Amino acid sequence: MKHSIPIFWRNRESHYRIKITKCNACGKPAYFGRDRCPYCGSRNVTIIESEGKGILVNFTISYYRREGDEEHLPRIIGLIRLDEGIMVPGEIVDIDPSEVKEGIRVEAVLRRYSSDDPYGLIYYGLKFIPILKK
Amino acid sequence: MQVSKAFISAACMTKIGRHFKLGIKNLIHEVTACMEEKTGSRPDYLIVASALSALQTHQLDIASITTQYLGWNNIPSMRVETGETSGIAALELAQYIVRSGAASKVLVIGVEKMTEYPSNKVNADYAKILDYDTEYVRNITPPNYAALVMKEYMRKYGVTRDDVAEWPVRMHANAVSNPYAQLRFPVSKEGVRNAMVISEPITLLDAFPIGDGAAAVLVTDESARGKDAVEVVAITSASAPSLYLRDDMTELPATKAAWASLRRKLEAQRLDEVALQVHDSYSIYGILALETLGVSDRGKACSIIPSLEYLNVGGGLKARGHPIGATGLYQVAETYELMIEGFAGKQYSGEYALIHSMSGPDYNARLALLRRW
Repeated sequence: MKHSIPIFWRNRESHYRIKITKCNACGKPAYFGRDRCPYCGSRNVTIIESEGKGILVNFTISYYRREGDEEHLPRIIGLIRLDEGIMVPGEIVDIDPSEVKEGIRVEAVLRRYSSDDPYGLIYYGLKFIPILKK
Repeated sequence: MQVSKAFISAACMTKIGRHFKLGIKNLIHEVTACMEEKTGSRPDYLIVASALSALQTHQLDIASITTQYLGWNNIPSMRVETGETSGIAALELAQYIVRSGAASKVLVIGVEKMTEYPSNKVNADYAKILDYDTEYVRNITPPNYAALVMKEYMRKYGVTRDDVAEWPVRMHANAVSNPYAQLRFPVSKEGVRNAMVISEPITLLDAFPIGDGAAAVLVTDESARGKDAVEVVAITSASAPSLYLRDDMTELPATKAAWASLRRKLEAQRLDEVALQVHDSYSIYGILALETLGVSDRGKACSIIPSLEYLNVGGGLKARGHPIGATGLYQVAETYELMIEGFAGKQYSGEYALIHSMSGPDYNARLALLRRW
């Protein structure tokens, strides 16, 4: 079992939605829903939900081998500036590593993080895919 | 109030490498036996720094298990873990214990076994220095962040891939003369550029090797100070927000905060003349450390790497190696030997030495200032 079921279940909101912590004391927003502001420590925060769309501002193509990960390499790991203005780290999928570039529009979708193969649990969470121009 | 002083009175290291015949206790025994030969006495407190011992060797409370193995019954002991800065954190604690008067001889051992499993297992364990819930489970790893930082730095300052390669070229050149280093061979910029990609633009030769090691220093008060002693002037530390929350990824915020509270103690010393050890798990971090500490202007550090005579004399994490929890104590042990009798073919006559350690993309940083006594 790669991950604890209670840990994963407890964090499901953060795995399935992009939450933003808006601090009512210092005014700064920050990625993921938290009990306190990561900038000033204030407990006076409001949690809002992101639309899940933004721009890929930086990325790396990773060949770093982590136990259980090898079949998914290479991975594209990037930083996305959401339309709400905050930065989020995440994996970019559904695009060939040779075609990914900074500045493309991306949106969050539900995808597989990892699984306890061959018969175990599958862990799902958010990744980002390019938004196709219509 | 007069604050009592703390000193480093002896240091020992094992060669870093893939020691399949040596377990964690054997490595501890090697540096401890060396320390007994040098000092002729036992400590009255033991601190063991190890980041991965629980994950790689399945051992909790490695400090007590160490005292049992050494036959040092009744000696108080404690394990310290702060990710990649565990070694300097252990030194930080040791000097407080000595200054408080609770003990006069504290042995600080840093130890890490990183080859008990294939690399993909140690890679996974090492990645847990990031936030497990929000970074690790999303398959984000420390070299990924280092790669993002390196790209941002190159873009912001117009620095090239080959400019950054100055770092590993210099570190490998230094390590050739370090008998304890894991990678004692020179590399070229071309070699760095063409090495296997870890997380582009970072290649294998921008990254630290995986190896086992142990290093130890004896921290003493004035009464137990040996004839070859170096004063621990101060150790400062700080933590910092996650990488994605920072306005400027090319500055190290925890290092900056730790440095702000330490710099006045260095008086008028020019840092480019001081013996320096900076944390370079990845080439870019060594470069950013020089800039954050003010050794170089922002965006300019690559060009001064060849001119800093006492920079990472043992080869840095890059080439000496980085047995995670032990690394800080390798930095200290090398610096101590450099100040006392010379190290890796270098003699240093300056008064001060500064050691920098950090974890991940500077999630915490520690600085140790040493002074010749």
